[in-house]
Amino acid sequence: MNGKVMIVDDDPDILATVRIIFESEGLEILAVSSGKECVEELKMGFKGVILMDIMMPRMSGWDTVQEIVDKGLLRGNIISMLTAKDTPDQIMEELAEHVVDYITKPFDPDELVSTVKEYLSYLA
Amino acid sequence: MPKDIIIIGSSTGGPKNLPKLCSRLPLIKASLIIIQHMPKFINDSLTYSLNQKTDMHVKLAEDGALLEDGVIYIAPSDHHLKLIGNRRIRINGEDLVNYVCPSVDVTMKSIKVDPNLKVIGVILTGIGKDGAEGITHIKKIGGKTIAQSRSTCVVDNMPKHAIETGDIDFILSPEEIGDKIVKLVGS
Repeated sequence: MNGKVMIVDDDPDILATVRIIFESEGLEILAVSSGKECVEELKMGFKGVILMDIMMPRMSGWDTVQEIVDKGLLRGNIISMLTAKDTPDQIMEELAEHVVDYITKPFDPDELVSTVKEYLSYLA
Repeated sequence: MPKDIIIIGSSTGGPKNLPKLCSRLPLIKASLIIIQHMPKFINDSLTYSLNQKTDMHVKLAEDGALLEDGVIYIAPSDHHLKLIGNRRIRINGEDLVNYVCPSVDVTMKSIKVDPNLKVIGVILTGIGKDGAEGITHIKKIGGKTIAQSRSTCVVDNMPKHAIETGDIDFILSPEEIGDKIVKLVGS
């Protein structure tokens, strides 16, 4: 299946793990360690499925989603929050309609790939 | 005019859970309306995807259309969906309600009391409290109400708020909700 995936996480172990999972499936994966890098990639034209960690220093996942929306960079991208945190807060409520899914770590690799492939099909 | 209307409210995690629910639906004599909070550019893809899962005909709701049996209507993003006279679809309004547009509450609260009409309100996975007031309204006009079980949700915020109203009749998994809808429509 064609399509790109971006993992945004400040944890290098998560980046490495997710990279291996998707590369073994033949999917193109971009691994970045901050919201700022994510936004830069979007400005340069990235389109695909974005797995966004919430708890990141300086710019949280929700701050990043807000910036993506504010800068008009959402179109053509499906965002799923990827986090160990499972208690939504007020900020999340405001951004609910921009976030399609919410995957809790630790995740099942097969389920993660299956879910992302489904979302990639939405963008085909 | 359909004798049964089912309104399903869904948000974060909906695209993962709606197929599970819809896969349990054969062609039934009822109209379903799905309010899924989502970016506009995936409206068509979700519609296409759900069409593969059920014998019902799934399509994007259009302003002015009359509800038909055997059809699942997906509310398009960025506008509210109301039912006029419990049968005609009205799509307008861009104001955010509960931080979202379309809002589940807006659609559910547009249903009027009709003794000849069976109404079912469903709240699936999602962030926020959209749908809770709608559920209370549906209960008040004599309808049945269902919330997705919290353990099967991606995010359990929306079902939680719906359940806390005290107006939910059934708490079920997405697959069980599909089965329950079939049973309630047939009864």
